[in-house]
Amino acid sequence: MKLSTKGRYGLRAMLDLAVHSQGAHVPINLIAERQDMSVSYLEHLFSLLKKSGLVRSVKGAQGGYMLGRPADRMQVGDVLRALEGNLALVEDAPDNTPAPDALSRCIRTMVWDAVDLRINRLVDSITLEELAEEKRALDGLVEPMYHI
Amino acid sequence: MKISTKGRYALEAVTDLTLHAGMQFESIRSIAERRSLSENYLEQIFILLRHAGIVESVRGPQGGYRITRDPDLITAGDVLHAVEGQMAPVLCLASDDESGLCEREARCVTRKVWQTMMREMDLVLNQVTIGKLAEAVRTEQLIPVSDYII
Repeated sequence: MKLSTKGRYGLRAMLDLAVHSQGAHVPINLIAERQDMSVSYLEHLFSLLKKSGLVRSVKGAQGGYMLGRPADRMQVGDVLRALEGNLALVEDAPDNTPAPDALSRCIRTMVWDAVDLRINRLVDSITLEELAEEKRALDGLVEPMYHI
Repeated sequence: MKISTKGRYALEAVTDLTLHAGMQFESIRSIAERRSLSENYLEQIFILLRHAGIVESVRGPQGGYRITRDPDLITAGDVLHAVEGQMAPVLCLASDDESGLCEREARCVTRKVWQTMMREMDLVLNQVTIGKLAEAVRTEQLIPVSDYII
């Protein structure tokens, strides 16, 4: 199972938006700097995410990107599927393949479908907000307890 | 996020081998014919399976391959790992590859997501055995996921 760079970098970019946006548009070059990604690649990722309504963009000097809806209503699964397509372990059989026999059906149901089910259920149970909270805590962006 | 044809054919072939030959030797040709797969490609796959100790071979007219242990002790994960190698969804989770680690790791939240995805996948792959698959084919009784995973 390999996740493409789209999925990996895309989720990181969305997490950055969730952590830093606070209801305002975030200039894409700031995300690029923080995440060490190129602006053009980020543009590409955001264009995919925009098609699924997961981000909104504003052009111009004050422009940038923001989440298409609140992070607590956006599942990690939504983000990954927008970037990767179906989160499925094996490709669907092409239309011209003969009907699968019992052996193929058993493997499909007991292995591939079983994995897909669990993976999709998992990513649909995590919201972007949950990741953002975790990230803020790790980065010390929440209520600093002390100052040095 | 995909398993290659190598992984898919390997799982098919080992299940087929078990189903038709039990723990006896069987030629690659017979498996290839039944599964409509290329004999050459299967030959390559079986070399990998042999290296992983899942099958063994004998040469000669009665030769071929057989599984090395009880099919209930061979998991789908064993077969897939043997031919696919590392199945980590992202490089930074591939345990034997230090180059995949990055300096962001300590503060990486997404890495934990990939980690739990991999755990979910392994959970299934380590529970489904070739024995269970062969039994399901034989009886045409698919075993629903909930019945074998807690």
